[in-house]
Amino acid sequence: MKSVNQEAVEHDPQQLHEELHDIWGNPKGIKALTIVNHTTLGLRFMVTGMVFFLIGGILAMLVRTQLAMPDQDFMSPDIYNQVTTMHGTVMMFLFAIPMLEGLAIYLIPKMIGARDLVCPRLTSLGYFCYLFGGIILTFSLIIEMAPSSGWFMYTPLSSSEYAPGLGSDFWLLGITFVEISAVSAGVELVVSILRTRTQGMALHKMPLFAWYILAMALMIVIGFPPLILASVLLELERAVGMPFFEIAGGGDPILWQHLFWLFGHPEVYIIFLPAAGIVSTLIPVFAGRPIVGYGWVVFAIIVTGFISFGLWVHHMFTVGIPQLAQAFFSAASMLVAVPTAIQVFVWLATLWLGKPKMKLPMLWVMGFLIIFVCGGLTGVMLALVPFNWQVHDTHFVVAHMHYVLVGGMFFPLIAGLYYWLPLFSGRMPSENLGRWGFWLTFLGFNGTFLIMHWTGLLGMPRRVYTYEAGSGWEIYNLLSSVSSFVLSAGIAMVLLDIALHFRFGKPAKHNPWNADTLEWANSMPPSAYNFISLPNVETRHPLWDDPKLPYTMAEGKHGLAVPVHGRREMWGTDPITGKVREIIHLPGNSWWPLLAAAALAVVCISLLVRVYALAGIFVLIAGVFLLRWSWENGAHPIAAPEAAVAPGDPPLHSRTMDGPGLWAMAVFLLANGSFFLSYLFGWFYLWTVSPEWRMPDTSPLSLPLLAAAGIAIAAGAVVMEKLVRGLRHQCDDRLRVGLYLAGTLGAVQVALTAWVLYSANLSPTQTSHDAVLLVGLIYVLFHGGLAVVLTLMQGLRVGYGYVGTHAPFEPAVVTQLWRYNVVTFLVLVGSIAILPRVVGG
Amino acid sequence: MSERNCARCILAIQRPSRRWVNRVLFAIWLAMLVTLAGCAGDKSILDPAGQAARDVRFIWWVMLGFGTVVLIGVTACWLYAFKPRDVVRTPAQERRIARRWIVGGGIILPVASITALLAFGVPAGQRMLPLPISDPPDVIEVIGHQWWFEVRYLQAQGSDQEGNNVVVTANHLVMPVGEPVDFHVSGADVIHGFWIPRLGGKIDMIPGRVNKIRLEADIPAVFGAQCAELCGVGHANMHLYVEAMPREEFDTWLASRQDEQLSEAATADTAHDDAREAFLNHCASCHRVAGVSSGTIGPDLSDIGSRATLGAGVIAMEEGAVSRWLKHHQSLKPGNKMPAHDDLEMDTLDALGAWLETLTP
Amino acid sequence: MDAMLKRLHLTHPLHFVVGLTLWCIWFIAVYGGHAVACEAFAPAPEQGVFTLLNGGLLIVSIVTTGLLLLLTWGCYVVAKQHQGRDRFNAVVSAGLYLFSAFSVVFVALPIIGVPPCL
Repeated sequence: MKSVNQEAVEHDPQQLHEELHDIWGNPKGIKALTIVNHTTLGLRFMVTGMVFFLIGGILAMLVRTQLAMPDQDFMSPDIYNQVTTMHGTVMMFLFAIPMLEGLAIYLIPKMIGARDLVCPRLTSLGYFCYLFGGIILTFSLIIEMAPSSGWFMYTPLSSSEYAPGLGSDFWLLGITFVEISAVSAGVELVVSILRTRTQGMALHKMPLFAWYILAMALMIVIGFPPLILASVLLELERAVGMPFFEIAGGGDPILWQHLFWLFGHPEVYIIFLPAAGIVSTLIPVFAGRPIVGYGWVVFAIIVTGFISFGLWVHHMFTVGIPQLAQAFFSAASMLVAVPTAIQVFVWLATLWLGKPKMKLPMLWVMGFLIIFVCGGLTGVMLALVPFNWQVHDTHFVVAHMHYVLVGGMFFPLIAGLYYWLPLFSGRMPSENLGRWGFWLTFLGFNGTFLIMHWTGLLGMPRRVYTYEAGSGWEIYNLLSSVSSFVLSAGIAMVLLDIALHFRFGKPAKHNPWNADTLEWANSMPPSAYNFISLPNVETRHPLWDDPKLPYTMAEGKHGLAVPVHGRREMWGTDPITGKVREIIHLPGNSWWPLLAAAALAVVCISLLVRVYALAGIFVLIAGVFLLRWSWENGAHPIAAPEAAVAPGDPPLHSRTMDGPGLWAMAVFLLANGSFFLSYLFGWFYLWTVSPEWRMPDTSPLSLPLLAAAGIAIAAGAVVMEKLVRGLRHQCDDRLRVGLYLAGTLGAVQVALTAWVLYSANLSPTQTSHDAVLLVGLIYVLFHGGLAVVLTLMQGLRVGYGYVGTHAPFEPAVVTQLWRYNVVTFLVLVGSIAILPRVVGG
Repeated sequence: MSERNCARCILAIQRPSRRWVNRVLFAIWLAMLVTLAGCAGDKSILDPAGQAARDVRFIWWVMLGFGTVVLIGVTACWLYAFKPRDVVRTPAQERRIARRWIVGGGIILPVASITALLAFGVPAGQRMLPLPISDPPDVIEVIGHQWWFEVRYLQAQGSDQEGNNVVVTANHLVMPVGEPVDFHVSGADVIHGFWIPRLGGKIDMIPGRVNKIRLEADIPAVFGAQCAELCGVGHANMHLYVEAMPREEFDTWLASRQDEQLSEAATADTAHDDAREAFLNHCASCHRVAGVSSGTIGPDLSDIGSRATLGAGVIAMEEGAVSRWLKHHQSLKPGNKMPAHDDLEMDTLDALGAWLETLTP
Repeated sequence: MDAMLKRLHLTHPLHFVVGLTLWCIWFIAVYGGHAVACEAFAPAPEQGVFTLLNGGLLIVSIVTTGLLLLLTWGCYVVAKQHQGRDRFNAVVSAGLYLFSAFSVVFVALPIIGVPPCL
């Protein structure tokens, strides 16, 4: 392919830097809160994640202190339960996921030759949701009201009857809030990887790390919504008394376990995949040769991503599920060994065929290998049902889980941090202190958790705050506790090393490890815009194949080097071939993400203290902020009022029908669809399995009204499709009227559905049947309402001249939501109103 | 071995001295003992006393052996790969070597292992299924409460399907040796876990559901068991004392716990009239004593004098134990649901304790 | 329309996910169908493995395996006709279809040995 804009004239690099810096540079002072740049936000994610890691680590030390000897009263059982619950919660939700997302947010654009992520304001919203949610959650520890039902929050232990305080509410609301962050990062990472790779970087040429992150992000998008649904339902049960999980009302506590582990098992791989991505990035660099079997690794990543959604019941082998169903999950769990083994042997073959050097990051990779293989082997053992029955809920599982998570995530993470430190700071880490840190961590870790397998085999259950002397577990617990302090000393040394290196590290030379990927073409530390010019990359190893590339990029010899228009620009490329399709212009710094996140935080706190009126008001305020944010798009003066591009360059994305927003909407709807499917799963699950389920003889939902609502929403969607087709053919006759018409049809559907709900006279606090119906109808109402608001806003934007044949993009995005709404409406009506009439209770 | 262990653990239940030096010495002593005794312990799954648990132990040792070989092999290969070598290979040779590693280690090794494991493991689980057999086994119901176990013997003489006249005990499970027993378990409030490690298991005790598991003890012995699923503040203090005895002994044990005998024991001795009076005023609405009261919130106390432990395994039963429990139960078992008895005279508590200890068939 | 047709071609990366998506659908159908069948009309435990339910699940699994193997073959043939990107996509897709077929077989194995609904 002939690359665009490549034979640009000679530029002065310094001048280009200054011009780009004017556009992309970060503001100082209070305005630093408006920054949307991925480099800054990625670092913020990682630093915040490290703080939460320290909090989670201190909690772990408290646990080990308590268990060091039998019959200790260092902590009361209630405090102990709070501490263990929060240790798991903080490490999983506030450290592992955000930390890896932060790394991906920081690295992905740099690796694929982009200047930022594709939805910069969403990055910022995600960060603040994470920060506020994390603060709210950890605040519960300070007031000794932390959740205490375990990080898995099984009902009925977490229900209002058995956990009356605010603890469970802190968990449910705080985690849901944090998950906004995870899902939004997931959405934009997917779209960024698929649509903003630099020109020529075809799908099969992108760095393996991008493949891993793509899989992780898609898994977040599909895996998190079940937990969001479960949290919403449990919070509704706690706050209002809707019996989703309560037997007497027709609910079932096992539904919570299904929804939780539908999220919880993929979560393990969500954490593992990016870490494996780090390993797959480091090994070729330190072996000095390309990875062998790139295709094999892609294969393994995709297999892992899918199979991990078919294993969730292996956390539930003891709940009394039929043996045959358990055998399905047992077999599926064992299958994961295959892609994992493929990766391990790909890495081994790469080292075997290369000339590997045992630098500090590789030491951590070796540590990863030993610990992770060990954890993987115990994982296969646990997949075996009879063995699982014996060791389930014992310290054996605690040990296994830490082997997988610390081995599979923490060790590669530290390897990656050491590897990319020169990029973060421009300085090299010290080999000495780093090696001490590694060995202490490695020995301390194995001392703590290898022994713990044995403690579990001797029958020590999990989550006990004490055990009596004479149980035979004393010496092993003591050894675990002592080793855990060695482990913390090691980690402290590593963190100290990293902190000190910012001050004392030797300045790094450019591309210090002689790596092959594009992030090392940045200046060290990187500038806000990443690259002065965006190159044409048709190889998997751009810096090995063209060592001069960083210099020619800095000299502005490649694409998009001329920033006279004042826009933040990068390539929008074809997801498969990497051909340039359009120029993506990105929004600049903005207050809206912070304001929206702050409003959502107020919602979260008011729900917590049960001031529902205030929560309602702030939901509206957050909605207004978000809509105001979306107003500054396309041809809006703050976005891209002028559409002129350099000669030979493709058009701006907002002037085409093919922007990244379409993809972002599609991926968001994928997450939404996962939420909806989880809801349907809950409905059918309760219907078929729940012991006390009561299906009324006649459905309370009026079919004629629902049919009328269905016709209205379908008609609205048809109108939208027609308008978009018109825009595609450069025709915007009656665009505004059409949008208002579609909006009105949507409003009719909302009104009719609301009427159905009103006339159904449900008693959602009495039976779970009515409660489930209520949630389904509210879901439809919310989405219908959202489509109405967005469509009417498009009508307004036509009036302002932001939308039309010159900027036809946005209605196409909204139309996707319409399509989704029609499908979900029909499926919902079919499932909750028609099917019960057909098959009966 | 197991009796000794258990005796030791009951002795040790007398809270050891608070001084940490003693504890460390104690721990070291124990460590030596345990190391000498191998992997025994009254809850050790490596010291099975039933076929189901024995199968699992066998599987474990095989898996451990195989896993160790894999781990050492893979690690050794990785370390060996770091050895500097001066071999020049053509791309075709490199491809061949890579494919050998990936196909051999990445596909054949795991596929062979998991196929073997599945073929090996699925039949082992069948033993614990309540499959229909020619001689239907005894059924014992176990219900988890926060934080104690209710045990109901459906086979007791005179009991019927509706659950009338069944023998009920708490935190003390007696089962016949050498024959399978079906346990029907459930939860009264939250989810608890039923698990007798040396026999096999485990299965969750879920409110609103009845889960079934079949276990068999080979030897007459006492086994440790405790709740396996986090169930609140009392989770660590929720033990079940399991006693397996020969069939005849079991039948005698069960027969002696018919209501008539128990009410006889509870009401016969007039020396305890005051205690009975206090019991009716302060305890009867929660606790049942055959012939005296019929509360069902707390554990049935009809044969409490014959049980091995108090408070679901928190202290050993011995003279004066009940009154000690009544005085200090909130510190012995923090958070338990019995109200503290601050309003009662010490003498009353002593009298109550003395009477309750006589409740034995 | 053109773009839609392109996606059907076996060199399109969409096929990276089709095989395993089929596996997922099969998995949900078998697991869900089994759960519903056990609630609605559980066969007597005395029947052991030889029940209509096991038979039905087995047939579904065999059909799914056949379909996946067919797609594997298709991708394999297509891969040999192409070079570069198209070949890469078809080879990886073939591998993924094959693995999906293997996964169906492997996960379905217990159907021939374990009685349902216990």
